[in-house]
Amino acid sequence: MVRPLYLLSAVVLLCSHDLYIKMETYFLKPNQEAIFSLYNGTFEESENTIARDRIQDASFVSHGKRVAINAEQWKDQDSTITQVVFNTGEAGTYVAGVSTKARSLKQSADDFNNYLKHDGVLDMLQERTENNLLDQGVIESYQKHVKAIYQVGDVKTEDWNTVFGYPIEFIPVSNPYEKYSGQTLDVRLVLEGKPLANQLVYADHIQSAHGHSHKGHHHHDDHEHAHHSHDHDHTHTNGQKLRTNEEGIVTVDLPEDGIYYLRAIHMEKVEGNDAFTHESKWTTLTFEVTHQHEAHSHDHHHHDDEEEIPTWIFVLGSILVIGVLFVFFSKKD
Amino acid sequence: MRSNFKRILLLVFILIPVFGFAHDVTSADQEILRNGGLWAYIQVGATHMLTGYDHLLFLAGVVFYLKGFKDIVKFITAFTIGHCITLIGATYLGITANEHLVDAVIALSVLYKGFENLGGFEKLNIKSPHLLLMVVIFGLIHGFGLSTRLQSFENGTEDLLAKILCFNLGVEIGQIVALIPIVLIITFSRQNKQFPAFYKAVNWYLVIAGIGLFLYQMSGYINGH
Repeated sequence: MVRPLYLLSAVVLLCSHDLYIKMETYFLKPNQEAIFSLYNGTFEESENTIARDRIQDASFVSHGKRVAINAEQWKDQDSTITQVVFNTGEAGTYVAGVSTKARSLKQSADDFNNYLKHDGVLDMLQERTENNLLDQGVIESYQKHVKAIYQVGDVKTEDWNTVFGYPIEFIPVSNPYEKYSGQTLDVRLVLEGKPLANQLVYADHIQSAHGHSHKGHHHHDDHEHAHHSHDHDHTHTNGQKLRTNEEGIVTVDLPEDGIYYLRAIHMEKVEGNDAFTHESKWTTLTFEVTHQHEAHSHDHHHHDDEEEIPTWIFVLGSILVIGVLFVFFSKKD
Repeated sequence: MRSNFKRILLLVFILIPVFGFAHDVTSADQEILRNGGLWAYIQVGATHMLTGYDHLLFLAGVVFYLKGFKDIVKFITAFTIGHCITLIGATYLGITANEHLVDAVIALSVLYKGFENLGGFEKLNIKSPHLLLMVVIFGLIHGFGLSTRLQSFENGTEDLLAKILCFNLGVEIGQIVALIPIVLIITFSRQNKQFPAFYKAVNWYLVIAGIGLFLYQMSGYINGH
């Protein structure tokens, strides 16, 4: 038994836990109870819950108001996914945000190099390579700040561009819900309130709510406190590899209907700090895109209410037709 | 008699909001199903039945032809047995088909019922198929439609049978809730001397609605491919 475990640990890649606000669909009905999940791992698979004391901000913005998520709204689905139950309220384009406190992790040089490569923190890897620092271990301080933009009903509001004031965050240049598959979306990356230029950003997407399935396999072997976990095949750098321009903007292709997620890790070497040698600030943004003329995403396998005749039209139309026929047959008889 | 008819019309208009405010089965229901446990399956099953006008029109057609409460119970039981078999069986076995095609066949069942109620077979000098048998057959088709819809959600593999049974239970609850006003309206209308005109109007409407829904679903099938 020892040998397989040894081999397993030998091939283990140390990699990060991205954090995402994930919903089954980002198109919701007004005044509906909904749930968002904090996916701590990859966008497809969450590996750990998030301890409440680790969260320094969790809030919604709707109709220009920012409301904190209260303690009763949190729940852990199991040991891997933390969820928030909320009411969607009135129609509009809204934002949910979660920000975590900084934590530190000591890593060996090899572990750190592998993680930089695996997670696409390539600028830091290059810097270490150029400065012959690849053999140096690190203590990394990391913090995560994530947002999701979701659409309730059909009304578009301006909340989508709300600045949450997180140390790092994505802010779209235009409303993602006025963009459709086949188009592009410009998104600005902001670090400490200022546009962050020349930063690597990864953007990917999955099929819309009904078109994908979740793998049932979760890793339970890691700990909530660490953002580095054992994993063998998942990756964080699929999809579009982008770099922000001088205004901190990336242009994300939206080739098809789906749930899109952007991620960026800004890392700097810190001089003169006893507590840590590197500081990373992580951010993600999620939203859903559908094609024009439809308010809800769908695939051909599934009907949405927008595809069908609205019930009230059907009922009124039916009564009208029956009424006309009734008058006709009454007179005829 | 005229006041009776007014009562029927009043009942119809009172019931409009019931249908109008009912929630359609949408992508948001996936979220409810994912997080709401088995209770959510009952809720979505009932919602689907209450907003599935093709099922309701067929049921109205079945009830319209029947006169006694005993007959209503017998035929509705036959329909229920039929749709339970395919709803549970097809979902559990993962048998599915294009939703538009299944719904198109269901639309034809509405057309069939209106045609039969209007004495279409007699007019064509064709022996009418066995009533109860046809209701069972159409029950099987409607059940397959419900199953196809249920399978369009991510149901996972855990507690699948329990989820199917809960969805089925929801469908039956929705069916009972829908049948109460339908039976009330038809029972009231029978007391009115204008019932023959109402009977013809409703059944011709079923024929028209059946054709309309059929064309609508076929259009969806063609455009969706």
